Amino acid sequence: MSRVRLVDITKRYGPTVAVDRVNADIAEGEFVTLLGPSGCGKTTTLRMVAGLVEPSEGKIFFDDQVVNNVPTHRRNIGLAFQSHALFPHQSVAKNIAFGLSVKRRPKREIEQRVTEMLEMIELQGYESRMPAQLSGGQQQRVALARMLATDPRVLLFDEPLSALDRNLRDSLKYSILALQRRTRKTAIYVTHDQSEAFAISDRIFVMNNGRVEQAGTQLDIYLRPSTEFVANFVGDNNALPGTVLKVQPDAEGQQRASVQTGSVTLSAFAPAGVGVGDRVLAFVRPENIEVLGDGAGRDEPGVVEGTVEQIVFEGPSIRLTVDADGTPLKVTVGGVERLTLLDAGQRRLRLRLREVSLVRASAVG
Amino acid sequence: MSATTLASRPKREWKRPKIGSVLQHAYIWFWLALFVLPFVVTILRSLEDPDGGRSFAAYSTVYSSFWSYLRLSIEMTVLTIAINLLIGIPAAYAIVRHPIPGKRLILSVLNLALYTPGAVMGISLAITYAFLFHIPHSYTGLIAAYVVGTYPLMLVPIIVALRDLPTMYEEAARTLGANRLQSFFRVELPLLGPGISAGILLTFVIVFNEFLVTLFIAGPGTTTAALRVYGLTRTGFLPSTAAVAAVMQFVSFLVVLTFFKAFGSRYLKGTYLI
Repeated sequence: MSRVRLVDITKRYGPTVAVDRVNADIAEGEFVTLLGPSGCGKTTTLRMVAGLVEPSEGKIFFDDQVVNNVPTHRRNIGLAFQSHALFPHQSVAKNIAFGLSVKRRPKREIEQRVTEMLEMIELQGYESRMPAQLSGGQQQRVALARMLATDPRVLLFDEPLSALDRNLRDSLKYSILALQRRTRKTAIYVTHDQSEAFAISDRIFVMNNGRVEQAGTQLDIYLRPSTEFVANFVGDNNALPGTVLKVQPDAEGQQRASVQTGSVTLSAFAPAGVGVGDRVLAFVRPENIEVLGDGAGRDEPGVVEGTVEQIVFEGPSIRLTVDADGTPLKVTVGGVERLTLLDAGQRRLRLRLREVSLVRASAVG
Repeated sequence: MSATTLASRPKREWKRPKIGSVLQHAYIWFWLALFVLPFVVTILRSLEDPDGGRSFAAYSTVYSSFWSYLRLSIEMTVLTIAINLLIGIPAAYAIVRHPIPGKRLILSVLNLALYTPGAVMGISLAITYAFLFHIPHSYTGLIAAYVVGTYPLMLVPIIVALRDLPTMYEEAARTLGANRLQSFFRVELPLLGPGISAGILLTFVIVFNEFLVTLFIAGPGTTTAALRVYGLTRTGFLPSTAAVAAVMQFVSFLVVLTFFKAFGSRYLKGTYLI
């Protein structure tokens, strides 16, 4: 079980930079996800760790060993593909046994391992089935068993669940997590699905255009996005442009900033490097906007008034689009009180904006 | 049986076939019969007994005097197939998996042999062997001619099969610890099987029956079965000659049938035989 370090990993294809100076330090046994939209470089990065793609620059370390020049078949890794990649001409048992058989392990050992693996994925008795006879979920489970049979030191996953339907995806992702926890292997998982990433990772690296925009836990990324991209990509968000008026520590010693956006002053968590006079984007999540009752919150900081333009009943929540004097705000209300808002159309509401996070407005546009 | 059961049983109707469809079928069967006729006649002739009537007497020549020629043909065919495979498989990999400048040109040139008339090939090779290499009528020369003439037929089906083979299988094998050779023999080769078999089939059919170019460059030590049959016909069309021809026909037919049963016709598309 290895620690994996990526140091300034870069990959260029001609003039295009697919991966741009990616750095990561993944601890032994940690489950890390590379999350991002298509084309962000996450798969290319994973394939560089696997050795299927050669980095243009940078070093990859497994523990203290530089593995750039170690060919894939000697890196002792496991890779789960999006389309399972089971060898179609071999049975389930032969597929699972493949890694051990190329190492010329004794037949007895191989047989035992295959049985163990089939037990682990709950497909006992499927030894002589061919991959084409299995369902999508079963194929992916066999692919996992095949990968784990060789006891690799790093597990790599390239969107293994994207080809499966919703229910299967949900149940399998927990199986993958359980397997990783049981075997305590370092895992790097690639996906574009935020809920998948959130469900199973210890840490998430959000990537865009070849760069890591932010690396952190689910809480870090969701509550304190450090870039505009992360704020918008992960979950839904409202962006309010403004200027920093004041920065001072609060009662717990956390730096808080006062931000003027439009006609309202917001209090927000101040990330490092933000100073007075900076132009910022204040992000507020729809579920963190509180609908206030009549008379409450008048003239308080962080409270705005607006007219409800649109109401959508989503079931567990209700989604309002509110025009707060020129600024459109998305508001999500859950719980029992949402039912009282069903007829709020064109009404004027008072809203309190909470859990505001700040991102420095980029110099360009 | 009650009246209701009788009434509820559906009447079997014999539909009168349309005259158009009858004519279509008759047309196809007519031409099929015409194509098959020469072979049928040959077989009938080969079954003629010297005392009148039918027997397999003529086939004894096949075992006695014809066997050495048949063996030579089979030997040369197998050797050609082996050489084609040895050159063709790496070549297919180079073309499909690696960027090579002038790929199209190379492929066109390689296919040239297929579009050169046999007599032209024969004369050119005869002159080259006799005057440039000073080895007229040699075994090696004949093999070389066969390889050059059939190489594109081996290469193209393998290229087709390789293009259809997703790289992820090789990659999966590598991540599981297989080196290049192991990945090739255990994963890629079995999956390329149908394409390679198509190449083997085409090479076999051409080389085993090759006559025209062989006529120009074969010598007394390299008389192939086809050449021998031709030689035999100079003295008339005896049942023994017919027997020999029928055996050659049968061998080719068996090989082709086996291939089609196993793999279908997918990998033969793109070669000029299909």
